[in-house]
Amino acid sequence: MSNWPLRAGSVLVTLSILLLWQAVTASGLVAPVFLPSPSSTFANLWRGLIRGDLLGLTLSTMERMIYGWMLASLGGILLGALIGLSPRARYWLTPTLELLRPLPASTLLPVGIALFGLHPSMLLGIIAFGAVWPVLLPTIHGFSAIDPRLREVARNLGIGPFSFAIKFGLPNALPDVIAGMRLSLTACLIITVVGEMITAQQGLGATIMMAARSFRSTDLYAGIILLGVVGAINNALLGIIERALTPWRTAHA
Amino acid sequence: MFCSIMSRRLIDLLNTLPAWLVPLSLLVAVEIAMRGSGIESDGLALPSQVAIALAGLIADGEIFLRTAETIGAIAVGVPVGGTVGLLLGVWLGLSPKAAQLASLSIELFRPIPPVAIIPLTLLIYGLGIRMEAAIVAFACFWPMLLLTRDAVRSVEPRLIEVARMLGLSRARQIATIAIPAALPRIFTALRLTLGIALIVAVTTEITANPIGLGYAIISAGLSLRPEAMYAFLVWLAVLGWLLNAGLIALHRRLFGAAHGEVAA
Amino acid sequence: MNAPLAPAVAACAGPAIAFDGVRLDLGGKCIIDGLSLTIAPGEFACVVGPSGCGKTTLLRLVTGLLSPTLGQVRRFGAPVDGPSRDVAIVFQDYGRALLPWRTASGNVALALEAMNTPRGERVERVAGLLDKVGLTGHGDKYPAQLSGGMQQRVQIARCLAQGPRVLLMDEPFGALDALTRQALQDEIAKLISESGATALFVTHDLDEAIYLGDRVFALQGNPGRLAEVIDVDLQRPRDQLRTREHPEFLRLRHVLFDHVQKTH
Repeated sequence: MSNWPLRAGSVLVTLSILLLWQAVTASGLVAPVFLPSPSSTFANLWRGLIRGDLLGLTLSTMERMIYGWMLASLGGILLGALIGLSPRARYWLTPTLELLRPLPASTLLPVGIALFGLHPSMLLGIIAFGAVWPVLLPTIHGFSAIDPRLREVARNLGIGPFSFAIKFGLPNALPDVIAGMRLSLTACLIITVVGEMITAQQGLGATIMMAARSFRSTDLYAGIILLGVVGAINNALLGIIERALTPWRTAHA
Repeated sequence: MFCSIMSRRLIDLLNTLPAWLVPLSLLVAVEIAMRGSGIESDGLALPSQVAIALAGLIADGEIFLRTAETIGAIAVGVPVGGTVGLLLGVWLGLSPKAAQLASLSIELFRPIPPVAIIPLTLLIYGLGIRMEAAIVAFACFWPMLLLTRDAVRSVEPRLIEVARMLGLSRARQIATIAIPAALPRIFTALRLTLGIALIVAVTTEITANPIGLGYAIISAGLSLRPEAMYAFLVWLAVLGWLLNAGLIALHRRLFGAAHGEVAA
Repeated sequence: MNAPLAPAVAACAGPAIAFDGVRLDLGGKCIIDGLSLTIAPGEFACVVGPSGCGKTTLLRLVTGLLSPTLGQVRRFGAPVDGPSRDVAIVFQDYGRALLPWRTASGNVALALEAMNTPRGERVERVAGLLDKVGLTGHGDKYPAQLSGGMQQRVQIARCLAQGPRVLLMDEPFGALDALTRQALQDEIAKLISESGATALFVTHDLDEAIYLGDRVFALQGNPGRLAEVIDVDLQRPRDQLRTREHPEFLRLRHVLFDHVQKTH
């Protein structure tokens, strides 16, 4: 992206998509209840943010997502490190993990509802449980796949098992762990939104569902845009974490 | 050669066999503990009850009906979203300029979670297979676009140079070098996309659309038939596993010999 | 700054390294058979031989990463029973032997951390070691930001940080370009003579072996055995041009070359 004409061009492409949207709605080809104009959508979005209600809904969705993500990351990293560092644990637990993995996280919501009812902490638990897999599996791999040469270096220097886990295992796993945490955060956002839609707990998911059912399309589009913004913030956040924690991968001569 | 690979796989399988006792004995332990304690819950079911329920659902064909509904939505959504993503991906992979022009739009629209458009498709299409197929198409478009773009972009530049030295036209460079070289990775993209499609379809059914396996799971849960809920879950997990394993086997068969190194 | 590097000069009489009728079988194959040799404290010994003759295995026996099937390996009179910080090893594949997530300084500091050197001392000692290997000002760079020669210097600095009595080197300059290799040859010769450590240097390059060594051990393969030992009586410090043009150098080169031709 060093090339500024192309950079400006990419802004123009985005603007022309918005203009096309505006033109389609102005022409009357599509009913505004299906596709409101971008100007009225953004005006509505702005009003909602100023009034504070949209902001509050966004924040409660984000809060749920972040808590679930932190639980999933913590659990995934600790468990993954233990399994990854011990060949025996890896041997005995791999089939069990393989059996649990292919279940889509959203299918756990009905199970959670059946077991615990529509409880806010149930939703949080399901988010964390569903989002733990993308962290757990790469963490196991990162801790177990250490270059044999580095193991020799450690043996030669007489480095103990705990020191080895901290100084060799953790940094070796970190790029995989962060990639997993990125997927996990995406999963958290998805499960959070689905969970809010099903359980009607306060948040953007329930709000856009209500908006659709009552044909308030500008509210619906505003909510979708906000969810996109949350997704974009997640990406940016993970980018910052990645650069801060794995500088050796981003640094170049 | 083939024989030795087969026997090695067999040996690997036999070696992991004892570890498969772990999930099995967990199930037995749950069965014994639940029978012993006499726990009754609307959310729990004995593993044996779940097995019986699964057999019943298979016997009366209901499970196949539900599966067909889910697969129907995937069968419509994936070709639509996947093809558009594939074509755009090839284009962006071949032309760095086009990729840069599209980059901002991709960065802005890509983060929208597919489940966020469930209400939108509901508004436009109402309930039914069309809304679900539309969500699947939207969800498949992005990974197909990005993975195909990366697959085409990462074709060994030396191969392109060879093609140019041979004096091939631009179109033949693409047709004879770029696309075949990227094919194994494009197939991997297709496999990942199909996995996503299954997840998104089931999620849509759980959330809003009263058809398919997802709806079967949540309605069984809500109507206090936990054994049926778990039976559908087990079935879904098997289905997802079979889909993935089948596509990996197909990948090996299609590209194993010619592209072994490239695929790895 | 020399103090921490100088090993306790072997007060005890007897060899620094001794192989006594050593045989090693790995995976049912005899790798080394009937190998006996001794290396005196402070000696610079080089090992040459065709690939697969057990040169690297010989080093591993000295580190204790491998144990002999028959016979005994002793360091300073005591049988080897596992890795010790008295013995440092420089691997050929520096790219895999350095921690990619640590800077040059961090990689050198690893050895000091392993020896529980007080934190306060580390910074100064690491800086001193980096100066010594010619990496002044590069301490904050990650391995990926350094050239191959510089990465190998980091590995050498890490080994020196251990304050080893024995320095083992496994074709340390094999992957480097000719000019870098020559510069590093002179530096390693200087560092070894300053530290007083015993050096065991494996190489496939006959010229390198003669240029660096006090003695050259020539091995022959299948299984690895000692074929010939030559004493190198060339004045130190050696010089890349004059030493290599010296009649004695050329004579030794002939002897070794003829020998290698014969055993091939």
